[in-house]
Amino acid sequence: MYQTPAIAGSPVLTVRKNVLTVRRNVLTHQRKRDILVDVAPGRPNTRRRQSGKLKGSEVRIDGVDKAFGEFPALIDVSLTVKKGEFFSLLGPSGCGKTTLLRIIAGFETPDVGSVLIDDVDILPIPPNRRHVNTVFQSYALFPHLSVFENIAFPLRLRGLGEKVVTQRVESYIELVRLHGQARKMPSQISGGQKQRVAIARALINEPDVLLLDEPLSALDAKLRQQLLIELDTIHDSVGVTFIYVTHDQQEALSVSDRVAVMNLGRVLQIGAPFEIYEQPADEFVANFIGDTNIQPAVVTSVEGELSRLDAEGLGPVVVTCDVPPEPGHTVRHTIRPEKIRISKKRPEGLAPNTNILQGLVDERIYSGFQSKFFVELPSGYVIKAFQQHARFLDDGPEIEWKDPVWVWWNANDGYVVTPRGGDE
Amino acid sequence: MRNRSGGLYTAPVTVWITVFFVVPLAIVVLYSFLEKGLYGGVRYRFSLDAYRALANPLIIRVAWTTFRIALVSTIGTVLLALPAAYYIARSSRRTMLLVLIIVPFWTNFLIRVYAWMAILGTNGFLNSILLSLGIIGEPVRFLYNQWAVIVVLIYTSLPFAILPLYASIEKFDFTLIEAARDLGASRFAAIVRIMIPNIRAGIVTAILFTFIPNFGEYAVPQLVGGRDSFMIGNVIARELTVTRNWPLAAAMALIITVITAGGMVVYSAANRTRGRGSGRRV
Amino acid sequence: MSTKSGFPRFVYIFVTFFLIAPLIVLVVASFNASRSMQWERFSLEWYRRLFFQSRDLWRAVRNSVVIALSSATVATIIGSLAAIGIRWGRFRLKSYVQTVTLMPLLLPEIILGVSLLIFFASIGVPLGLGTIFIAHTCFNLPFVILIVLARLEEFDFSIIEAAYDLGARERDTLIRVIVPVSMPGILSAFLTAVTLSLEDFVITFFVAGPGSTTLPLYVYSAIRFGVSPVINALSVVMIAVTVALVLLARNMLKYIAK
Ligand SMILES: Nc1ncnc2c1ncn2[C@@H]1O[C@H](COP(=O)(O)OP(=O)(O)O)[C@@H](O)[C@H]1O
Ligand SMILES: [Mg+2]
Repeated sequence: MYQTPAIAGSPVLTVRKNVLTVRRNVLTHQRKRDILVDVAPGRPNTRRRQSGKLKGSEVRIDGVDKAFGEFPALIDVSLTVKKGEFFSLLGPSGCGKTTLLRIIAGFETPDVGSVLIDDVDILPIPPNRRHVNTVFQSYALFPHLSVFENIAFPLRLRGLGEKVVTQRVESYIELVRLHGQARKMPSQISGGQKQRVAIARALINEPDVLLLDEPLSALDAKLRQQLLIELDTIHDSVGVTFIYVTHDQQEALSVSDRVAVMNLGRVLQIGAPFEIYEQPADEFVANFIGDTNIQPAVVTSVEGELSRLDAEGLGPVVVTCDVPPEPGHTVRHTIRPEKIRISKKRPEGLAPNTNILQGLVDERIYSGFQSKFFVELPSGYVIKAFQQHARFLDDGPEIEWKDPVWVWWNANDGYVVTPRGGDE
Repeated sequence: MRNRSGGLYTAPVTVWITVFFVVPLAIVVLYSFLEKGLYGGVRYRFSLDAYRALANPLIIRVAWTTFRIALVSTIGTVLLALPAAYYIARSSRRTMLLVLIIVPFWTNFLIRVYAWMAILGTNGFLNSILLSLGIIGEPVRFLYNQWAVIVVLIYTSLPFAILPLYASIEKFDFTLIEAARDLGASRFAAIVRIMIPNIRAGIVTAILFTFIPNFGEYAVPQLVGGRDSFMIGNVIARELTVTRNWPLAAAMALIITVITAGGMVVYSAANRTRGRGSGRRV
Repeated sequence: MSTKSGFPRFVYIFVTFFLIAPLIVLVVASFNASRSMQWERFSLEWYRRLFFQSRDLWRAVRNSVVIALSSATVATIIGSLAAIGIRWGRFRLKSYVQTVTLMPLLLPEIILGVSLLIFFASIGVPLGLGTIFIAHTCFNLPFVILIVLARLEEFDFSIIEAAYDLGARERDTLIRVIVPVSMPGILSAFLTAVTLSLEDFVITFFVAGPGSTTLPLYVYSAIRFGVSPVINALSVVMIAVTVALVLLARNMLKYIAK
């Protein structure tokens, strides 16, 4: 199993660096520069981060069940969110993400189980006295208050003086880049701006944990991307623990330190984004995260790390496994489409342990940065293979509909998972 | 507030409405089963006299008259209100057109009735015009009959029918009409088969908002009606204040209540089939 | 549809004419020197009598205003609270509250009048301004609840949860979020209640006692027992006052909604 490279004192920071590096690689130069400017030294938050002082808290959820009438919304949910972590709850709509978040916020009470923040049981504490704040999916801005007053609301409740309020609110307006919008009413600003107000308002009390319930789902794709990056930056600068709910795997994978994948009220897997993607715990996770070719397969023989399987539709395949499966068992063999190569000519000099199959192109979908091929194998099974267009006008011999092609992948790229998960 | 404190917030209204509405209604039910007192009021002895008195042909005739007046005025109101509401909903100057409908309601109901009396009276506006034009030789007696009651009732109910109709037509998606026309429906067929079913809740509301008050009307027949337009409301008032048969008045009030409740059941049935969400956050 | 809707338009014009014509007749008649509808000459006589020789009438106006303001105030306060509870509360008796509070709106007015009269008589409460106040509050409540509820429907529970989440206590939520957010609804509920109360005749007719004549009762008896053209003048003044009040209220609402 993958281990968090734990270094005493700043375990999370190390992970964050990795994640940031990975993400930034996909960004354009312009975007990269923006981010560098954002986290440039001199900003108070950066200093906090440099000093390695995290204000966030650890959240431990243990054996939580919650039913609405007969309907079990959460079943034996246990997870621990580390101090200052950017933690995502990922799962299809209706799987219980919001319910879990509302339990942490205090709007629902679990039937059994415990919720601890920094080892303190918070279940008896009412929502208004928990050091946890929420960014609501619907924004939930107060329609009668201006942007400034919305953000100032928690401070007003505490009866802080005008000067302190103004100062604090302005610094948070700065943080979420809402300069010049302070006097507008919620009805006069855009969706993205509303979301920023909601974030600033939730952060101004300096909570130990910030809960975000699909905060970007109401925004269009471009804006979502931009706000996601800003959210990440904000997380870096304030150092609060973020628990982020989403049904969008791209969102979860791109910013989280760790992700919990949920289905039908259960947590199926908790891990870093690449673990979830590359080493899915079961069939559901494999299917839900990204695109994949997944087929039932019977284990025929095992030789050390290398297993031979008889996969439905594919025939005999070889795959390497850290933990070899039992011969004779039925498992699921999965291979990600982008790991499959495709060509009209039979490839020469293949590495050992390469699976290679022949088929006809059933469909080709061009989508700019890549082409998706749906190749029909002699068995009738249609396998997906994605080809990246990494260079200008360079995608080898043009492959067309009905072309006979070869598809191949290395045993190292295949993966074996247990059947289903969550909904048996 | 929290969900749990909902009871606290509603407590004053609950108490108020229980004491001043539910209890009085219960007393009405009770009174209808008692003997009438000598000078009004009741004697606390069980009796079905009031219900027997209801079988009196005179009262049955009044009930029938009341029903007929309420029905005719409701039909007239809805038939006028439907096209008018349609026109408002399809216009680009909705607000102004609506205001014109509502403006008359900025004056007292009795004064509007009085205006009609001034128009329809023997020395009234209409008669003086008709006389001066020589269309009639002597004043016509427009007032103090059933038709005067019906006209005035239509007049007073029109806005109450137009507003709910307008609200539902406004929400109606007119591309459905275009779709129906596209599929070969005539304009009339499209309206009858597509629009009317879709604005059913508005129509039912309009009918109830007209029929129920008109069925229990008191003032209009009192002012512009005659012998042929004595309605249940007038009988109830007479039994309460003149004849002083309170159990009978109570029994009649009860009957109106039951009929209204029946109408309400129809109404909620018509609304329920439209399936309204409860608006829970997800 | 693109075609000119000729028939609906014709009906609309007819209906509008039907609704407004009587008022025009009244205005004209109020400036007519003659007692009949026959035009004689322009005169302000009826207005003079209205303002200087109609003591009973002005007493009725005062009664009406007192009742309207007091019953509207009480109905608005307790009705708005109830609307909040109905909108967001989950409690026993909720369906009872929802049904029963709306019934006075749906039943013919005469039922409320009769049942209150019998009720007051059976427990020996003397009829007067007090009983009128109670009756008016009763029929104002459903309107207040519906209007405030309609406003509250525009917001979901999350704004209240947000307030809690940010540290508000029950009282803060009420004062800083719920009431300000509902304010346009509360104000229009209040204005509606005042209007309904000023307007009511039937219910008042049953529960009024000696000395508690309201304006509609006064108008009613004036119509029944000898119409004086003073009534015409009064009507015109009332129209003018209402129009002024409505305009004022609209502007006020617009100002507050902002
Ligand atoms: N208050 C409630 N009453 C009844 N069912 C609820 C309630 N809240 C949530 N549910 C149900 O619980 C399940 C999980 O809901 P939720 O946590 O909102 O899912 P998600 O946020 O993952 O989409 C859903 O099937 C939903 O219908
Ligand atoms: Mg959700």
